[in-house]
This record gives sequence, structure tokens and C-alpha cells, in this order.
Amino acid sequence: MIEVAGAAHPVVGALVVVAVLALGAMAVAVTESVVTAHVAGSPLGSAWSRPWRRAALVLARPQPVTERPDTLLWVLAPAAYVGMAALGLTVLPLGTVWAVADVRTGIVVLGSAEVLAMVAVFLHGWAPNSPLPLVAGYRFVAAGLSFLLLSIFVLIAAALPAESMSFGRIVASQEDGAWNVLRQPLGLPLFLVVALAVSLHGPLDVADAGELAGGTTAEVSGPARLAWGFARRAMLTTYAVATAVVFLAGPAGPLLPGWAWLAVKSLAVVVVLVWIGQRTARVPVERFVRVAWTVLLPLSFLHLAIAGVVTLA
Amino acid sequence: MTGTWVDIAFGVFAVAAAWFGWRVFVTDSMVRATFSLLASFLNVGAILVLLLAEYLGVAMFFMMGVEMTVMAIYMVAFMMNPAGLNPMQMVHQPRVAVVVGVLSTAGFGAVALAADLDTVAIVDPDGTIRALGHELMGSSMLVMQVVGVTLVATMVGAVVLSAASGRFGPADVGSVPPAIVPGDDTTRPGVDVGGDGGGHDHDHGHGGGAHGHDDGGDA
Amino acid sequence: MTVVTVLLVAAVLLGIGTWGVLSQQSFVMIMMGFELAINGVMLAAGALWRFTSGGEPRGQVLVVVAMLVMAVEAAIGFALVVAVSRARRADTTEGIAELRR
Repeated sequence: MIEVAGAAHPVVGALVVVAVLALGAMAVAVTESVVTAHVAGSPLGSAWSRPWRRAALVLARPQPVTERPDTLLWVLAPAAYVGMAALGLTVLPLGTVWAVADVRTGIVVLGSAEVLAMVAVFLHGWAPNSPLPLVAGYRFVAAGLSFLLLSIFVLIAAALPAESMSFGRIVASQEDGAWNVLRQPLGLPLFLVVALAVSLHGPLDVADAGELAGGTTAEVSGPARLAWGFARRAMLTTYAVATAVVFLAGPAGPLLPGWAWLAVKSLAVVVVLVWIGQRTARVPVERFVRVAWTVLLPLSFLHLAIAGVVTLA
Repeated sequence: MTGTWVDIAFGVFAVAAAWFGWRVFVTDSMVRATFSLLASFLNVGAILVLLLAEYLGVAMFFMMGVEMTVMAIYMVAFMMNPAGLNPMQMVHQPRVAVVVGVLSTAGFGAVALAADLDTVAIVDPDGTIRALGHELMGSSMLVMQVVGVTLVATMVGAVVLSAASGRFGPADVGSVPPAIVPGDDTTRPGVDVGGDGGGHDHDHGHGGGAHGHDDGGDA
Repeated sequence: MTVVTVLLVAAVLLGIGTWGVLSQQSFVMIMMGFELAINGVMLAAGALWRFTSGGEPRGQVLVVVAMLVMAVEAAIGFALVVAVSRARRADTTEGIAELRR
């Protein structure tokens, strides 16, 4: 039974968040490489080292100069994006009876991190003062205003059986009852959509897509590009952990310590997300917005209603 | 957190909220202006968290993040110089505005200083969110219902007002750009000065000559 | 952090918002001024709830109502901006000076 933990010491908490995001981003990069090699049928041997070689290559490239960019926002945007990944991670339980700050308003904090991440992506597209990144920023806002609502309804549904908005309590309610993946079957696929979209991965990467010459990253190269790549993978890490916590009871499990269970479950979610990203075609943003408002959003209402009835029954 | 840390944090958030609020109206870049306003809201949200209104503070992050993103798009759409690449001044009656702003700050500040406010400690600091939930879904249910109905009316009203198909045909029939000098129609962009006795604009073709704008000069 | 200091910060925000509303020409900037003023109102309501009510939740409901005011202001404001832009091609207060006559 996980009690709502208080706040960890700030220094400890910051170190843990940085470590988890760094390890998670590396794990995501390696998973992407391995899954790509597997899908392509190429040997897996070089797949393990490819992310590092590509990172070194990206790092060595020079940064082009655009005409009158908004330099301050250009620097702040990746920092804000990775900062929101960190903010989301602080409210998630990372071990049995332990979170950096298991606040009572956990799901609202995660939702706020998601909204402010949308702002960061928009600014990343706005700042270079260049057409394709700007288009990408607008496209992400259009998609973002659609998927934000989904995540909020899914998280509210998860909060109903827990009778709390704290993620610690959400895990505890799954230990006492069934895991949310069984109890609220519609929630997991909806939340995976959100995770892919907010972390700019796979079919829902509407901001950094290839047909926009890289979208918000079209004018970004060198260390800044590496920072953005890290930020996206850090965000995917946070949402994989959130998915594991909300639907797979996070740190709960026999024998192994809580953090190990959480790592195993989060890694499984990462593999699923990356696999979906490699195996599905990219979705045009207007089609995604249409589907989000006419299919996914009504589904999330239904999901919330079912969760309410099940909780009361 | 102990009292000193709360005071320090409050000081930082308060100065930041005011500074970003001021930046909104002095920066040239509309995106910077919008997100300065967002930063001001985030700092006020943080102060609300310090004030133990934890839910309201965090909800403010969420709500203002969405609202300011939409605001930024409108700013870029409706300002002639969205990126602030050309320095320009889009203000009127600046002195009056400053005087009224200072007076209102002084007035409300004087009320705050003069009012005899008794400090009453919060009975149950850990239960404020639960209490708010019970209040909203209990005795303040009528307030929430009014909120809901108001928002529905707002949605309908906003769609009606902004629809391209207006109540009396297309909403932009006969629409002409405003005169640069108010009241002087020869300064309307796209109007032939000294042309065939009247203005006709070249900006858009529908309606032909029949949709002539109401010349302010005749009135 | 006392009730007076928080109320003073709220007064400053309200004053800056008022200055913005009165001095700006663009409709959207005027709306930003209103939002900043409502920001100050919410802060003041939160401060009074925290320090003078003993935790009475109705004080927080007042902040929720202020948030509603802001949402309505933004939605109807943007709709009016779009409507005026369609009908008059105007995006500043000077652009619709005809309304005076």
C-alpha cells in the first residue's frame, strides 16, 4: 500500500529527476535504433552504438544563422520543453512509497506540464523567424488543443477510483483493486495517443515531420539540435513513466523493488510507443484534428462515464 | 517550507509577476508580449500555491497556458508587426493611461493598507482541495451551474459573432479598410484619391460597384 | 507574505492592466490588459481567502468565478475581434472611429 509521500529533499529530487530523464532518453534512443534495425531486417549489432555515433555527428555540425531570429526564445524553448518533462516526472511515484513531490494535485500538474510543453514547441517553431518551423509550430498548436483534452479526461477517469488527484493514490488504488489497464480499458490507447503527440514521436509528430524539412528543427543544427533531440526523448520518458504509473500500477509488484518494476513497465511502454512510431504512417494534422474531436474526444467522455459507473458500482 | 523561504519565494514571484506584466505592453514582439503575460500568470499561480490555494494555482498554469497559446495566434493574426521586426508604437493617450494606472494602483493599494483586516489562520491547511471540491459540488452547485450555462452561451455567442456567414449574408460584404486618418476617406488604403468622384477599393471584387462603402464625408 | 503585501502586488497588476487597456490601440492588446487586471483580482481574492476567511472554501469559489469571467472575456473578445475585422477590416480602436458618429 503506497501512502502519499511528502516531498523529497530538493537536491535529492533534482538529482533523481535529471538521472531518470538522462537514462530514459538514452533508453529511448537505443530502443528507436534497435526497433528500426529490427523493422528494416538489418543486423542488430550496430544498432546499439548507432545513437551515440549519430549524436556525435549532430554535435559536430555548425549552427546556421537565420535572419533576425528571436534568440532568447530560441534558447529558452528546448530548455522549457525539457523542464516540463522534468516537472511532469516530479509528481510521479518513482519507487514504492517515494516520489520527488507526490502533490495532491498531481494530475493537474502533469496536465499543466503538457500545456506548457505545447507552448515550448510553438516557441521553438516561432523563434528562428523562418517559414517551415513557423508552420510546424502552428500545426502543433492545432494538434495540441485537440489532444490536451483527451489526456485530461483520461487522467480524471484514473483519479476517480483513487478518490484523489495524487499519482501515489492512483497507484495505491490499483494495488487494492485491479490495474487501470483492465479496469479502464479505453484509457491506455487514448493515453498512448497523447504520449506520442506531446513527445513529437511517430505518427503524431506533426511539428518535426520530414515533409516540413524537419519542422521546428529545420533551422536547428549542432548542439541545439542535440538538445532538442534529448528534450523529445526526455518527454517520451516522462509519458512512458506516467503511462506505467496510471495504467500498470507503476512501482507495484512482487519480489523486485518498486523502482525496478517501474523501470521494467516504463521500458515496455517505451518499446510499444517506439514500435508504433516505426510501424505506422504519419497522420496529416487536419485528419488528426478531425479524428480527435469527432472520435477520440467522445470516446474519452464515454471512458470517463464508464469509469464513474464502475467506481460507484 | 518554513516561513522565511515562503517570504523569499513570494518576493521573487511577486516581482516577476509585475515585471512580466509590464513587459507585455512595452515589447515589440507580439509573441513575446503574449508569453510575458503567460509568465505573469504563472507567477501569480505560484503565489496562489504559496497561499495554500494549491488547486487554483496549478489550474491557473493549465488554463492560462492554453489561453495564452490561443492568444498568441490571434496576436500574430491581427497585429501588423507580429515579430516586432519594425519598431513601432501602437498606443494612444499615453499620459492619461499612465496617470489612471498609477492612480488605480495607489487607490487599491491605499485600500489594502488602510483596511483593518484580521488575519485568521486556516483551520485545515491540508484539506483545502477537498473542501473546495465539496463546496463546488455541494452548496455552491448553483454557482457551478451558472458557470456551465454561461460557458455554453459564450460558445454559442462566439461562434455566432465570428462566423463567416453572418446573419444577413456573408459577414464581410462591403467591408473596406479603415481610413488611416479617422474621418478622411481619401486616406483609406486602396482608395483612388481624385478618382471618378468617389472611392472604390481594389482589395476585393464581390458586389462590384453596388456595395459602395458609406462615405463618412457625406454624413 | 502578509495580506497587505499580497494585496499590494494585486494592486500593481491591476494598475498595469488598466494602463495597458487605456493606452493600447490594438484590440488584442487591450484584451491582454483586461486579463492582467483580472489576474490581479484573482490574486486579491486568493489573498483575502487565505488570510481572513479561516479556510472557508467559498472564497476559492470567487477565484473560480473570476476565471470564468476571464474565459468569457477571451472567447467573446476574440469573436468580436474577428467580427470587426470581417466587417470593417479594422484591428485597432481608431479603425472603428465611425462608431462614434
